[in-house]
Amino acid sequence: MAARVLQQCVRSFARPSLRLCSNNLALRVTAAPAAAVHRPLSFAADSRRTRWLVQSRIPSVGVLCRQYGDLPPLTLETIKERVMYVLKLYDKINPEKLQTSSHFMKDLGLDSLDQVEIIMAMEDEFGFEIPDAEAEKLMTPEEIVQYVADKKDVYE
Amino acid sequence: MANPLKTEVIRLYKNLLYLGREYPQGAAYFRQRLKSAFMKNKDVTDPEKIKQLVARGDHVIKELEALYFLRKYRAMKKRYYEPEK
Repeated sequence: MAARVLQQCVRSFARPSLRLCSNNLALRVTAAPAAAVHRPLSFAADSRRTRWLVQSRIPSVGVLCRQYGDLPPLTLETIKERVMYVLKLYDKINPEKLQTSSHFMKDLGLDSLDQVEIIMAMEDEFGFEIPDAEAEKLMTPEEIVQYVADKKDVYE
Repeated sequence: MANPLKTEVIRLYKNLLYLGREYPQGAAYFRQRLKSAFMKNKDVTDPEKIKQLVARGDHVIKELEALYFLRKYRAMKKRYYEPEK
């Protein structure tokens, strides 16, 4: 008697849960095709969203200090890089022949007017004016780097 | 500096290059023309002649300024006034 009551109890306990389970299963089965249809799109969207989140999270964690729109500090190395970059873009200079020590007129075959243009390009690049009297002495990339470093107080 | 006139010529070239950046037909076109105009007279050694040429260059600067001023004036007029019929 007691055993039967217990059994019933167990059954009544088990049945709803079983039913629930089966219901759930049925629901899942019916939902699955729909999900499968939508999966490619939603999956792509999901992955994009997570990637975007990851991307946006990393810089915000890494850059906690404010930059105030300032450029990174100049070093002799970066000045040299920028000078050489500007010179390479100048159409009358052959980038293959260009060395840090090459003379604009003797080695690269430019004239004094081209040199004026180069100095103007450097003024634009570094954002300050180079007076004519000093500009005419700057005849190699090395000298330009040295001059810019002196003017911008870069020592190393 | 060996020749005091050289600074004058360089200064003229620089000013003209700056002005040429806004030239209607493009800065590259202007630069080419300017270079050839200067190279045409590269063998001039007579100081008087050089002075004369520099004066002509200054005149060209004035012309360019007038050209830009006129362009600006026309643009303003187009924006602010009804077209006259």
